[in-house]
Amino acid sequence: MILTGSKIKEEIKNGNIVIEPFSSDQVNPNSYNYRLGSTLKVFRKFDGKKALFKKIKIPKEGYILDPNKMYLATTKEIIGSSKYAMSLIGRSSMGRYGLFLQCSANLGHTTSEHKWTLEIVASLPIRLYPGMIIGQVSFWKNFGKAPEYKGKYGFLNHPQESYLSFE
Amino acid sequence: MILTGKKIIEEVKNNKIEISPFNKDRVTTNSYDLSLGNTIIKYTSKIIDPKSKPSYKEIKIPKEGLILKAGDFVLGYSNERIGSDFYVPLIHGKSGTARMGLFVHITADLIDIGSHGNTTLQLYATLPVRLYPNMLIAQVSFWVPFGKIVLYKGKYQNSKGPQVSKSWQD
Repeated sequence: MILTGSKIKEEIKNGNIVIEPFSSDQVNPNSYNYRLGSTLKVFRKFDGKKALFKKIKIPKEGYILDPNKMYLATTKEIIGSSKYAMSLIGRSSMGRYGLFLQCSANLGHTTSEHKWTLEIVASLPIRLYPGMIIGQVSFWKNFGKAPEYKGKYGFLNHPQESYLSFE
Repeated sequence: MILTGKKIIEEVKNNKIEISPFNKDRVTTNSYDLSLGNTIIKYTSKIIDPKSKPSYKEIKIPKEGLILKAGDFVLGYSNERIGSDFYVPLIHGKSGTARMGLFVHITADLIDIGSHGNTTLQLYATLPVRLYPNMLIAQVSFWVPFGKIVLYKGKYQNSKGPQVSKSWQD
C-alpha cells in the first residue's frame, strides 16, 4: 500500500518519516516533491576502473546539462523512514522534459535516512537551478518484519559515486 | 497492494477506475494495456529552461509510422483517458516496447490519485524505432492507498493529447 499525502504528514508528526526541511506545500496526493541540492558532480574521465567526477556548486543562474551524460547530485532534503520503504523518482513536469532523476534504482530501503544521490541524465539540454523542485518520493507499507538497514549509502549526505569498483 | 486484472475490470464497472475506451481484451493479470495516440510533440527550444514556457511543435504520426532516431525524445499520449479517485495508478512500459529500447516515461511513473485524463507518455528511444498510431505501448497498474485521500487538483487535470511541461508555472 502506498501512503497518501495526508498519511505522509501524519507519519512525519509521529516520527516514522523524516523529511528535512519539510514544507506542507510540497505534499502531493500520494508523494512529496523534493528539491535539488546545490552540488553537482560532473563526469571528467574514466580511469580504466571507475568514473572520475568534478564537484561543482550549481550557480544561482543555473547550470546547463549536456544530453546523454550522467551527473550526480543529491536531494536538498534528508529523506528517510524507520517504518516504510520508499520510491524516489522524478516528477512529470521534469519527465516531460526528458530528465531522468535516477538510473533504474528508485528503491529506498526502510531505515535509511539521508540526502539521496540522484543519477541525473538529460535527453535534451536543460538548465537546472539549485533548490528547484525536481522529483518525488513516495512511501510504501512493508509486509513482514523490517530488518535494520546496514547499507553503504544509507547515511551519506553528498552526491556519492558508486562503490562497486572497490568490491 | 496491487490490483489484479479481475479487480481492475470490477472497479471499472463500479466507476472506481476510469479507463475509457475500455476493452476487456487489454486487461493483463496485473495491469491494462495503453495504446499510443496519433500526435506527438517535439520541443523546439534549443535549451530547456524550466522557468520559461518552452517552444514546441506537434507532429501527426502517419499510418505507415514515424521513426524515432536513437537519442530522440518526444511526448506522446495514451488514447485512453485514465484515472481513479480510489487507487493510485502507475505507468509502465510494455516489455515488448522496452525490448526495443523505448522508454515510455522518464522516471515519472507515479500518477496522483484523483488525476484524470490522457496520460502524457515521455518517449525516449535508445535505438531507432518506428512508432505506429494506436500501437499498444504502455501499461497502467493500480495500487491501494493507505491513509485519508485528498484528490489531485493540479495543472495537468483533464489532459487531452500530449501535454508539455508546465514547470514554468511552479
